[in-house]
Amino acid sequence: MFDFNLIIKSLPMLLEASVWTVVYSLTSVAIGFCIGTLMCAAGLSASRLGRGISAFYVSFFRGVPLLVQLLISYYCLPLIGVNVPSSVAAVGTLALCTGAYLAEILRGGFLGISPGLIEAARMVGLSRRQILTRIEVPLAVRLTLPALVNETTMMVKASSLISVVGVLELTRLAQNIATSTFQPLEIYLTAGAIYFVINGAITLLGQLAESRFRLETAR
Amino acid sequence: MSFNLAILTDNWREILDGMALTILIWAAGTAIGLAVGLAVAVVQLFTNRWLAAPLALYVAVMRGTPFLIQLFVIYYGGPFFGLDLTPLTAGIAGLALYGGAYFSEIFRAGFLSVPPGQIEAARMMGIGRLDIVRHVQLPQMLVIILPALANMTVLLSKETAVLSVITVNELTSVIQSIGSTTFAFAETLLFLALVYWAFLEIVTAAARRLEKRVGRFMLRSQS
Amino acid sequence: MTADNATNSRPIIDVRGVWKRFGTAEVLKGIDLAIRKSEVTCIIGPSGSGKSTLLRCIAFLEEYSEGEIYIEGELLGFALEGGKRRRVSDAEVARVRRNVGFVFQQFNLWPHMTALENVAMPLKLARGIAREDAEKRARRMLEKVGLGHRAGAYPSQLSGGQQQRVGIARALAMEPHIMLFDEPTSALDPELVGEVLQVMRDLAAEGMTMAVVTHEMGFAAQVADTVVFIDHGVIAASGSPQQVFRKDENPRLRQFLQNYFERNVFWQGGEDAAS
Repeated sequence: MFDFNLIIKSLPMLLEASVWTVVYSLTSVAIGFCIGTLMCAAGLSASRLGRGISAFYVSFFRGVPLLVQLLISYYCLPLIGVNVPSSVAAVGTLALCTGAYLAEILRGGFLGISPGLIEAARMVGLSRRQILTRIEVPLAVRLTLPALVNETTMMVKASSLISVVGVLELTRLAQNIATSTFQPLEIYLTAGAIYFVINGAITLLGQLAESRFRLETAR
Repeated sequence: MSFNLAILTDNWREILDGMALTILIWAAGTAIGLAVGLAVAVVQLFTNRWLAAPLALYVAVMRGTPFLIQLFVIYYGGPFFGLDLTPLTAGIAGLALYGGAYFSEIFRAGFLSVPPGQIEAARMMGIGRLDIVRHVQLPQMLVIILPALANMTVLLSKETAVLSVITVNELTSVIQSIGSTTFAFAETLLFLALVYWAFLEIVTAAARRLEKRVGRFMLRSQS
Repeated sequence: MTADNATNSRPIIDVRGVWKRFGTAEVLKGIDLAIRKSEVTCIIGPSGSGKSTLLRCIAFLEEYSEGEIYIEGELLGFALEGGKRRRVSDAEVARVRRNVGFVFQQFNLWPHMTALENVAMPLKLARGIAREDAEKRARRMLEKVGLGHRAGAYPSQLSGGQQQRVGIARALAMEPHIMLFDEPTSALDPELVGEVLQVMRDLAAEGMTMAVVTHEMGFAAQVADTVVFIDHGVIAASGSPQQVFRKDENPRLRQFLQNYFERNVFWQGGEDAAS
């Protein structure tokens, strides 16, 4: 028999754990965005070394499964004397991973900016840094907003993997309840539904932001 | 920290088995996933909405929830429906269903990319609906969607690592158990990363070449 | 005509023997051109003749390959060291051309900012003007081009003609000594051309120094002090509008003008528009 009572009973706990899921994934996207912007700038720079580092970074973190990255940071960081809580190591790894994807997304955004807009900024005397922060980054973000929102939902999903290295969040808690009650179906379906709602909310917010910004960018 | 590579060479048989299983899972999952995706797209686009609506929900759910949770539902929740799957079968089924959702979106976009005028023209000649799909739409859209299909296929190869969590004995699982019995985490896990990385680079490069060749072929056949 | 006294003063823009090459293609082949204070110079010529490239070289949006361009007496973009020229820093380029305003064919308004922000932002960032003062000046500039009531609109909410007028206001706000216009009406629907040309006429009447690359022969005939005809990267004819449009015998120029009239005349006597 499908046990609705169990769902109702464990829902508060699952919701509490899902707060951690949201915190971990949004934190890693925020950090990853900074890493991604830097790596994207390095990749588009004239410096050969910068381009090399950027290409290596993007290739490695997109080329290795996230689970393997998490295992490496979990088991190998202590070996080189880095002792941080597993949640910190896990968020750091998520950030590095999403940073590689964000760098690629932003790259497309930067290349999509019409060169005339940069010329106009140069002609009114803006410095290179002002052009980057006031013109290029805002435009690149607007141009790539759907992809950025999608990457955020991917990270919410990917954060479930940090349960494997013992960090308590929605998936980990669901596992704990499932093994103690022997009713995995109800619990995992509930957990899945919570993930679905979180991502639905993020997508909705993204669409709101998009419709607001489209007004400004449509040409 | 010193590297003891003998741990890897001592266990080469298990490692090779793990690699073979990873590739098998990937190939099977992709093949079934492609079939699922195509079927879902065709049903969504060419039949009534009573069939299309549940499929839209399937796609949204598979895309909106973590792959790991999906695996748990299939593997641990399967017995509830009388589906007592082995980890391997559950894993391949999970991968196929997960990939199928993404593939269906790609196919759908592909179908919509063929100009409606061509379909109207075919219809006016009295060609059947399925024949139009097979002879008019599929050949054209495949070229357009090939990069997206290749991209998704590459992504699926990385997802195979997640199957280790439901105890499928693929590469990640094999390496992890070697690591935890010998405590040689650095050697084993870095080797694991390198293998995936190299594999992905090779597959990506192969996909690029395929895209180029198909692109050239299409250019020639059009001129 | 201001030509008489202007010939004695130092030109604001002085182009000397400028060549521009893209790979093996020679786009400008030894251009000499001086633009003096309060003069309006219209640059005409067939597409691909190099007229836009010349304007972009004067703004240093393109590096010229050979020759010299002086802006109010300062060499633009390069420093001469022992007969060799060296590219100077971007900041130095920005300093030399700080008094040059540029209006683009494609307007190039920043789409994520309102009309007001488009004009005020450079004042704040490049000139360090306080926010209120910058916005006050920006508002005044928008009013000057007849768009005071559209200050809060985003570029996508403005017509092409309005966008171009904001573009002019943005350049004007920096209080330039010379304004460069790169085909300012070519991207506009025909019915929107007039409003932009009117703003430019007003500017010329106020004594603004202007160099205008244009296909609007009527504007050139009425407003220009000097008309320069560029063909295949050289100045093939130049002089007063009267000289260039009526008297010059250069066959390429006559052909160019003939083509222009055939495209634009749909009414007997329409030729009067150019006189």
